[in-house]
Amino acid sequence: MKIELRDIYKSFSEKEVLHGISFSVETGKALGLLGRNGAGKTTTIRIIMGLFNADSGEILLDGRKFRPKDHKIGYLPEERGLYPKKKVLEQLVYLGQLRGFTRKEAKESALYWLERLGVEEYKNSRLETLSKGNQQKVQIAQTFLCDPDIVILDEPFSGLDPVNAQILKDIIRELIGKNKLLIFSSHQMGYVEEFCEEIALIDKGKIVLTGNLRNIKREYGMNRLAISSASIPLEDLRNILNNSLSHIIRVVEKKKNFLVIELINNNTKDELLKALSDLELDIERFTVYEPTLEDIFVMKVGES
Amino acid sequence: MRGLYTVFRFELTGMLKSKAFKVSTIVVCLMLIIGLSIPSIINVFSSKENDIFGEGTVGEEAQQAYGYINKNNAVPNIEDLKSSFTLGRLIEFNSEEKLKESILSGEIEAGFIIESPTEYKYMVKNNEMIDSKVSFFREALAKAYRIYELGEMGISYPDVEHIIYPNIQQDTVILGKDSARNYIYTYILIFIIYFVIVVYGQMIATSVASEKSNRAMELLITSTDSSNLIFGKVLGTALAGAIQVGIVLIVAMISYRLNAGSWGNRLDFIFDIPLDVILIFSVFGILGYVFYAFIFGALGALVSRTEDVSSSATSITIIFVAVFLMSFYSMYNIESILLKVLSFVPFSSFIAMFIRVSMGTVHIVEVLVSLVILVLSTILVGMFASRIYRLGTLMYGNPVKLSRAIRLMREK
Repeated sequence: MKIELRDIYKSFSEKEVLHGISFSVETGKALGLLGRNGAGKTTTIRIIMGLFNADSGEILLDGRKFRPKDHKIGYLPEERGLYPKKKVLEQLVYLGQLRGFTRKEAKESALYWLERLGVEEYKNSRLETLSKGNQQKVQIAQTFLCDPDIVILDEPFSGLDPVNAQILKDIIRELIGKNKLLIFSSHQMGYVEEFCEEIALIDKGKIVLTGNLRNIKREYGMNRLAISSASIPLEDLRNILNNSLSHIIRVVEKKKNFLVIELINNNTKDELLKALSDLELDIERFTVYEPTLEDIFVMKVGES
Repeated sequence: MRGLYTVFRFELTGMLKSKAFKVSTIVVCLMLIIGLSIPSIINVFSSKENDIFGEGTVGEEAQQAYGYINKNNAVPNIEDLKSSFTLGRLIEFNSEEKLKESILSGEIEAGFIIESPTEYKYMVKNNEMIDSKVSFFREALAKAYRIYELGEMGISYPDVEHIIYPNIQQDTVILGKDSARNYIYTYILIFIIYFVIVVYGQMIATSVASEKSNRAMELLITSTDSSNLIFGKVLGTALAGAIQVGIVLIVAMISYRLNAGSWGNRLDFIFDIPLDVILIFSVFGILGYVFYAFIFGALGALVSRTEDVSSSATSITIIFVAVFLMSFYSMYNIESILLKVLSFVPFSSFIAMFIRVSMGTVHIVEVLVSLVILVLSTILVGMFASRIYRLGTLMYGNPVKLSRAIRLMREK
């Protein structure tokens, strides 16, 4: 199964918020939809879910028009919410039935997920009486209630404590293992790096970067190197490099234990190595730098 | 259809299980049971069976004493005056001082000092705003005067009394319906419709708005069609309301039937509602209720917080109250053109047509035409509400005006 977004445009009150969003995602490969707050992630997800209609563009599933109502979708909206005054099990069964389960199936599935998430004891409590963390778990339970083939999670980790985040991580891994199609949006890069093979980076309503995460990292790390010295503090090292080697490299940033530098003017690593040895800097680390997703993110959208 | 049924069932059971529903139904039923059983309860404790409405009620007052002074024997036939004064016993006093003292001490209720056959002074401790004692005495004094003066002329008063107050018999043959008789139950039934629509309409609007404010909406709308959600909600809540009204009416009927003897069948005119009236009430009432419920539901979707519901629903509430008042005042003139027009307009036909059928005679064709108009408009309003609902559900922030929502709907 493959979902493909092609050139999605969307305006609200004459203000265009999405300017031609395109990306694709396949089963068994999770897609991380990245972007700053207000970049257009939730709007994109809501268009996929059919909550909003796109002004133009199309969403295809294996080449045909995608109709969310025809598929079993597990959806965790950014705006978390259920009925605070209703009992936990009662509302999960209701949602299960709305998504096509019989009452019995819905109840069995709801109990399975409540147990799996460790909140089974609250099944007959009103939702509002549960702690915030446990309410989140009920939300997660509703997402997976109907054994979905497509899972769309909008900021799934926001507001989760480390223990609950771990539970959700395990579930997500399991879903990927079961070849489900998974899209999840986040501005927390760590989680995306953990699960997603593919990413789509949205900035101000535009896709600024999309593709396989490993390839992207390789590409972005291509001309970059990590360097440090055993005896010279990083700040001094930066000054020396800036003063002496500015025709070969550019110092990109200072990390905790090393500097990230970039080769310029088509210089090679060998040339740099020679120049460095002339400077006698007591080099401790000299290696190809693989950027983190956060680096790529900041690089693409940070300066704007 | 399955989605619709699921929503319908969820809303209905949610409503029936809610404390507000249970408590209000029980309280109203208890009030009716107790209220309608009062005569029977009194009978149990009273020695005079089945006579609480009889003359006995004035018995206590009959024991009350009033004083009088017949100055210079101004009224020669004082016994006639005494027997004509039905309010209480009249006791003669000799001096104004003694009369005053007795009034102040509360021994007697009030005093009358007769100056001449047609002139007296009324003496009372505290003057009440509406004092009927005076009229009783004045009537008695006038009668004593008539008896005496006619006697002087040699005419027997009882003979003249028959001439002055002839006993006129009247029989009314009603060919259509008796508005006077049907007035009370029509009045009660339209009040019931009024309250049910106002109360349940607000409840539906609040329920929609709260699904938005607690953010359940996004999950609901991605789980099933928006039309299932609003139709299920409106129909579920409508049935809950109909069940409540049904329970209350049945409890009232049974309570009255069980106590009818004690009431001396005095309330038959309220409870003997003809079947056709009940049928029209149910059909038109439920349709009108659903018609308004859809509008309230759509308006609820245009606000994001439950606090904003009442302001959003103001316009429709004003229309509804205006329609109700117009129909209500037309009850005094059921053949008016206004009521006829109102009985075909879907905003008002459920009350106006019901009034016409209940209190007058309406051709079946007119009823059917009005019914068809109401059914079609209810379906249209339902479809319209479903679109407004879908549009409004994800519009958070400030309340959206209906006019703007319609404009947005057209743009799409």
